[in-house]
Amino acid sequence: MKYYITLSALILVLFSCHKKDSKIDGPSLEDLNGQFSVLSPLAASIDSVDFASGETVYFTALFSKTSEWNLKITGLVSGAVKTMTGTSNELKASSSLWSGETTNLPIFKNENCKVELTFPNEPDTLIAYVKIIQAKVNSGFLISDFENGFNSGWTSFIQSGANMNFQVLSDASSPQGNKYYNMAGTVDWDWLIGLVNFKSTAYGGAPAFPLSANSDNVYFNVMIYGEEGTTNSLVLFQFEEDENSNGIFSSASEDMYSKEIKVDWIGWKLISVKYSDLVNLVNGVPAAPNGNGVHDSDKIKTINMLHLANPNSGFAKSKLDYIIFTENGPLVP
Amino acid sequence: MKALLFIILFSLGLSAFSQEGKKVQFVGGARSLISQSDFTSDVSDTVTAPKTTGGYALIDLGFKINPNENTEVLGMIRINNQFGGFYGAGVTFDVRQIHVKGVAGKVLRYQIGNIDYKLTPYTFYNHNPDLLVQSLGINKIKEEVLNYESFYKNNNWRQQGAAADFAIQFPKIIQELKFNGFITRLNPSAPGTVTPGSGLLERLYGGGNVIMKQSKYLTIGVNHVRIFDLLQTANNDNAYRNVVNSISYDLNKDGKKIKLSLDGESGMSKSFSTQNAEGGLSDFFIHVKGQVSFKKCGLKLKMAYMENGADFRSFGAQSKRMDFNQVNSFYDRYTNSQILRPLSYYDLYNDPSLYSSSFSTKIMSFNPSINNVLPYGIATFNRQGFYAGFNYSDPKKIIAADVTFYRLGEIRGQGTTQLRSFSYLTSTVSFNLSNWMHWKKKQVFQLGLAYQKTERSSQFTFEQINLKSLTASLGLELEICPDLYLLGSAFLFTSKGNESMPVRTPEGTIINFNEYLVDGKEINLSSGIKFNFSKEVYVAAVYESNKNNFSAENPYKYNQILLYYIMKF
Repeated sequence: MKYYITLSALILVLFSCHKKDSKIDGPSLEDLNGQFSVLSPLAASIDSVDFASGETVYFTALFSKTSEWNLKITGLVSGAVKTMTGTSNELKASSSLWSGETTNLPIFKNENCKVELTFPNEPDTLIAYVKIIQAKVNSGFLISDFENGFNSGWTSFIQSGANMNFQVLSDASSPQGNKYYNMAGTVDWDWLIGLVNFKSTAYGGAPAFPLSANSDNVYFNVMIYGEEGTTNSLVLFQFEEDENSNGIFSSASEDMYSKEIKVDWIGWKLISVKYSDLVNLVNGVPAAPNGNGVHDSDKIKTINMLHLANPNSGFAKSKLDYIIFTENGPLVP
Repeated sequence: MKALLFIILFSLGLSAFSQEGKKVQFVGGARSLISQSDFTSDVSDTVTAPKTTGGYALIDLGFKINPNENTEVLGMIRINNQFGGFYGAGVTFDVRQIHVKGVAGKVLRYQIGNIDYKLTPYTFYNHNPDLLVQSLGINKIKEEVLNYESFYKNNNWRQQGAAADFAIQFPKIIQELKFNGFITRLNPSAPGTVTPGSGLLERLYGGGNVIMKQSKYLTIGVNHVRIFDLLQTANNDNAYRNVVNSISYDLNKDGKKIKLSLDGESGMSKSFSTQNAEGGLSDFFIHVKGQVSFKKCGLKLKMAYMENGADFRSFGAQSKRMDFNQVNSFYDRYTNSQILRPLSYYDLYNDPSLYSSSFSTKIMSFNPSINNVLPYGIATFNRQGFYAGFNYSDPKKIIAADVTFYRLGEIRGQGTTQLRSFSYLTSTVSFNLSNWMHWKKKQVFQLGLAYQKTERSSQFTFEQINLKSLTASLGLELEICPDLYLLGSAFLFTSKGNESMPVRTPEGTIINFNEYLVDGKEINLSSGIKFNFSKEVYVAAVYESNKNNFSAENPYKYNQILLYYIMKF
C-alpha cells in the first residue's frame, strides 16, 4: 500500500498543479454587460501644438468598461477632420496620438480644433479643444499647391469651348491653403478640354525633377475634386522621361508613363500612386513603352496634366490641388 | 547476451487472416428501414406536411481476399436504395471501406487504407460525450445503427492512412516493448487563389506510442500525436501544428481477494501556426485514477483526480462526434413561419446522418444542456477536480450498477475571474430478471441516469450561471417466446437555467458570449417487438411518441412507426 501512496504522491509532485488562472478567456463580461460611466473626462495632453516642429498631441479619458469609441477632431476654420476609433476602457497615447494628419480632406490649417469622443453604444459625448499653432508640414517635392498662382514656367492649352474656366481660384473649399486650380468647360468635338505642362525647368531651370532614382520609393500625389452632378471628367497625368539627358523628350524613343483618373466621386480626394506602378498608355490602353522600359523617376522632365471628357458627355468640371512627389510612401496629409 | 535475446511477436496467430483456408470471403451487412412519421406543433402550421413516409434498403457488400496467409485485402461497397426510387433513381453506389493489412516479414503488422485507430484518452480517442446514458431496448437498436454508420467501435476514429505495429519481448527486466505508429490524412490541399495565404495546406495526423510492459504489475506508455500541415502543398506559408505528448501508466496488484490498480495519463500539448509560434497555446494535463476491486462481492471502487489545462488542445481526443451547429434533416422546419427545428436530444438517436466519422481540428460547438461538464469527453480542456464511483455486479448476475460522480471546476474563467463549478452524476443500473427467477428467457431492465449542474456565482447578475440538466433512460427487453422480444424504452431529458456560451473565431479565440436560456423537456416513449432470426439477423417493429417543448412558443410532437431489418454477415 505504501508503494501505491508513494507512487501517487510522486506523480502528483512531478506535475505542479494548475493554480487559479489570473487570466480570463474572451472579453470581460463586465465590459460587455456592465454599466458604462466616464471615470475621467476627455483631455488633450497639451493645449496648443506645433506640428511643423514635430510636436504631437494625444488625448486621455477613462471609462468604467471596455467600449467602442470614436474620436473626431474637426478644424474649426478648415473643416478638416481627423478620426480615430478603438475599443478599450481608456484613451491613451498609444491609441490617440495625433501628428496633425487628416482623415478627410481638407488639410488642417493653423486653427482651433474641436475634439469629440463618442461611443456607438452609449449616448455620452465628451468634448475638448486643441489649438494648432503650426500645421503639419509634408516633406516631398511640391509641384504646386497653386498658392502662388500659375507658374510662368508652365505652359497650357485650353480649348475654346463653352463655359471654359481654367484658372487658379481662391475660396474656402481649397483642401490645402486657400487656392486650387479649377478646370471646367464643354468641348463637343474633342476629348481634350485643356491641359497644363508642368516643366522641370520651371523649378530653377533643372533638367529633371529632383527625385530619387529608385522609382519604387517615389510616389506621385494629387488632390482632385469631383463636382456633384458630373462624373465625366478624366484627369490624365503623363510623365515624360528624358532618358538620354539631352534636354529633349523624344516620344518615339523615350518612356512616357501615365496615370488616368476617372473623377467619379464628389468632393476632394487624395490620389497617390507609386511611380514604378505607372504604365505607358496609348489611347487609355496599356502598351509597351517606347524607351528603355525603366521607370527613371530621376529623369522626369515634364508632367502633362490633361483634363479630358467624352465630347458627347457635355459639361465637365474638376479641380486640382497640392501636387507633390513624396518618397518612401504616399502622402499622409 | 541473454538480455539481448528478443522474441518477435506476431509470427503466430496469422490464421485469423485466412479463415478456414478460404481465399475469398463475403462480409458485410444489410439493413432496411421503413418509417411513417406524424408531426404536429401546438401553433398553427398549414405549411409543413405532417405525415411523411420514407425508408431505404441498403447492403454493404465486402470482399475479403487473402492472397496469402499474411495478407488481407478488403473492399466494401454500399448499395443504397431510397424507397420510391425506380430504375436507378434514388440508388447510390459508394465505397464504404477499403484496406490492405497483413504481416511483413513475420514481424511488422500493418494496415493501409481505412484504419480504425485510437491511442489514449488524451491523445487520440473517440469519446462519446453526448449520449450520456446507456441504451437498451429500442434506443439500443438506434444506437447500434448510428455506431455502425459512422464506424464508432471501441472508441476508435475511422481514418484514412496507414498504421503499423510490432513488439519485442525480453527475457529479463522488461517483458515486452510494443511499438505502434500511424499516419493519416485529415484534409487534402486546395491551391487557393494568387492571394498569399488563401490556399489550404495538406493536413496530416500522425503519431504513435511505445508501451513497455515491465511485468504483469506495471505498464508504461509514451505517447505522441501531432497534427501538421505540409508546407508547399498550397499557396500558404502558415502551417498549423498541434502536438501532444503524454505518459500513460497502469500499476496493479492482483491479490486473491482484492485487486488494486493505479492508472492514469499525464502530458502536455502545444498548438501554434508557424508564422505565429509565439501566439500559440501550450498547457498540460494530469489524470490519476486509483481502483480497488473486491472480487468476492463484485464491487469495484474508483477515485480519480484530473486537471486539464485551459490551453490544453488535443483535437484527436477533443473532437465531438457531431457538430451541434448543423441543421436537422428530419422535419428541419415547422410552423407557418417555417422556423428551423433545432437539434433535439432525441435527434441524436434518430438521425445517423448527423454524425461525422472523422474528427475536427477546430473547437466544436456543443449543447450545454446535454453535456456542459465534459463536452469534449474526459479530455475536455479547462477542467480540474475529482471524480469517484463504484461498479457493482453481483455474482449471480442479477444486478449490475455503474455510478460515477464528478466534482469539477474551471481553471480559467471565461469573461470573468469567477470560475464555473460542475457536478455530474451518471449511473446505470441493470436488473436481470431471468437470472433472478432462473428463467431461460432473457428479461432485462435497465435504468440510466445523468444529472448535471453548472454554477458560477458572482456579485454581477450577468456573470451568474445556474444550469441543471437531467437525462434519464429506461429500457427493457423481455423475451416472451424463443427469439421474440418485447421492447420498451422511455427517454426523458429536461434542462433549466442559463449559461454564457462563448463565441469563438475559427482559430478558437473567444470573442463574445451569447446568453443561453433554457427551460424545456423532451419525452420519448417507445415500444416494439423484435424477432431474432439468428444472433446477427433480426427484424424489429417500433412505435414511438416524442414530445418536445424546449421552444416554449413552438412546442411540437411526433409519432413514428419504424420497421427495421438488420443483418450482418
